[in-house]
Amino acid sequence: MTWTCDQIEARLSDYLEGMLQAPERAAFKAHVETCDECAPLLASVTSVVGELRSMEELEAPAGLVYAILDKTLGPREKVTAWQAIQNFVLGMATPKFAYGAASVMATFVILLSASGISLRKPKLAELSPATMMRNVNRQAHRAYASGERYVSQLRVVYEIQTRLRQENELQVAPEENKPRSTPDKQPDRNDDHTRTQPKQQNRANDLARQVEMLAAECPVVLERSYR
Amino acid sequence: MEQDAQLVQRCLQGDGSAWEELVRRHSRRIYNVCYRFVGNRPEAEDISQEVFLRVYRTLGSYRSAHGGFATWMTSVTRNLLIDHYRRTKRDRLTDSLEDKMPVVENKESSARRPDQQALLGELSGQVQSALTRLSPELREAVILRDLQQLEYAEIQQVLEVPEGTVKSRINRGRIELARILQQMGVRPS
Repeated sequence: MTWTCDQIEARLSDYLEGMLQAPERAAFKAHVETCDECAPLLASVTSVVGELRSMEELEAPAGLVYAILDKTLGPREKVTAWQAIQNFVLGMATPKFAYGAASVMATFVILLSASGISLRKPKLAELSPATMMRNVNRQAHRAYASGERYVSQLRVVYEIQTRLRQENELQVAPEENKPRSTPDKQPDRNDDHTRTQPKQQNRANDLARQVEMLAAECPVVLERSYR
Repeated sequence: MEQDAQLVQRCLQGDGSAWEELVRRHSRRIYNVCYRFVGNRPEAEDISQEVFLRVYRTLGSYRSAHGGFATWMTSVTRNLLIDHYRRTKRDRLTDSLEDKMPVVENKESSARRPDQQALLGELSGQVQSALTRLSPELREAVILRDLQQLEYAEIQQVLEVPEGTVKSRINRGRIELARILQQMGVRPS
C-alpha cells in the first residue's frame, strides 16, 4: 500500500496519537522516509504539538475570583474591626476549635507534670532547665519502677489464676470419668476420689492464703482480676 | 466531577459558599482557555468574568446526566469566545490593514512595544502568537486538545460537531500552526 502526500497530511495526527493500524503505520512511515515534503512537515508538527503540550498553565489574575463573586453574589460587605473581632471569637466557638484547645491543654498539663512543676504551688526555681531536667529524669524513673511493679504483680495474679484453673480441672476430671454404677466394686477397696480429697483441700487452702496475701499487697489489681 | 455536581446542587439551593468553591475550582482553567484563544490578558479576564456570570444565571439548566460540569462550562466559554470573536472582527480587520502597511512602519510599531517583543522572544510566546492567527474553528480545537488535553468525546460535546470533524480540525489546526511558525521564521527544536 502506497500513500500519497495528501493522505499523509490527513492522517498526520492519527499517526502522532498512535491511532493507525500496523499496516497503515508502515505505509505512513515508508512514505515519510522517502518524501522531501512530508518529512519536514511531520517534524515541525511533532515539535509544535510537543511545545503546545509543554506550555504551562498561567495563573489567573489575583482579583479574578473576587471580581466574579462580586458580580454574581453581590459586593462583599465591608467588615469593621469590631465585627472582625466578633467573627474571630465566634469562629473559636466551634467544636473543632474546642477539641483542638482541649488537646493542647492536655498536652501542656502532661508536659508540666512530667517536668515536675506543681500547678497548685508553682515556684520560680522549678522553671530552671537543670531542675526541670532533674524532675523529668525522676518522673521517668518513677514511672518505669511503677510499671515494672505492676507487671510483676500481674504475673503473680496470672500464675494464681492458672493454678486455680488447673485445680478446678483436676476436681472435675475424676467426677466425669467416674462410672455411674460400680457393680464390681469390692467392699474392702479404697475409693480414689476419697483418697485424693485431703490433698486437694490442702492445695486449695494454700492458694487461698496466697490470694489473701496478694490481696493485702495489691488490692486494686486483684479486685480487677477476680471481678 | 461528582463533587462539581454536588456543588451545583448546593448552589441551586442558595448556598453562596458552594458557588465560591466552584469559582475557585474552575477560574484558572477558564481563564487559560480564554487567554489562549484571545491572546490578551485583560480581554481574557473580562471574558472569564462573563463566562462565570453566564454560568451563574443558567446553572439551573445544567444536567449532570448530559456530561461533566467542566465540559458544560467549557462549552459556555467556547460560545462566549466565538461571540467575542465575531464582535471584534471589525477591529481585527482594521488591525490587519495596519499590518499590511510598509515594512518600515511595522518596525516602528514593533519598536514601540518592547514588552510584547520580549514575550515573543520565547518559543511559547511565538506559539501563542501563531495560535491567535489560526481560524477560530481550528484554534478552539487545538486549544481543547493540546492545551487543555481533553478527550475527543469531550471536545465533540463542547463543539457540538461529529468526531470526524473534531479530528480533522485538530489535524488541520496543528499543520496550519506549524506553517505559521515557519512563516514567522521560528525553527522548532
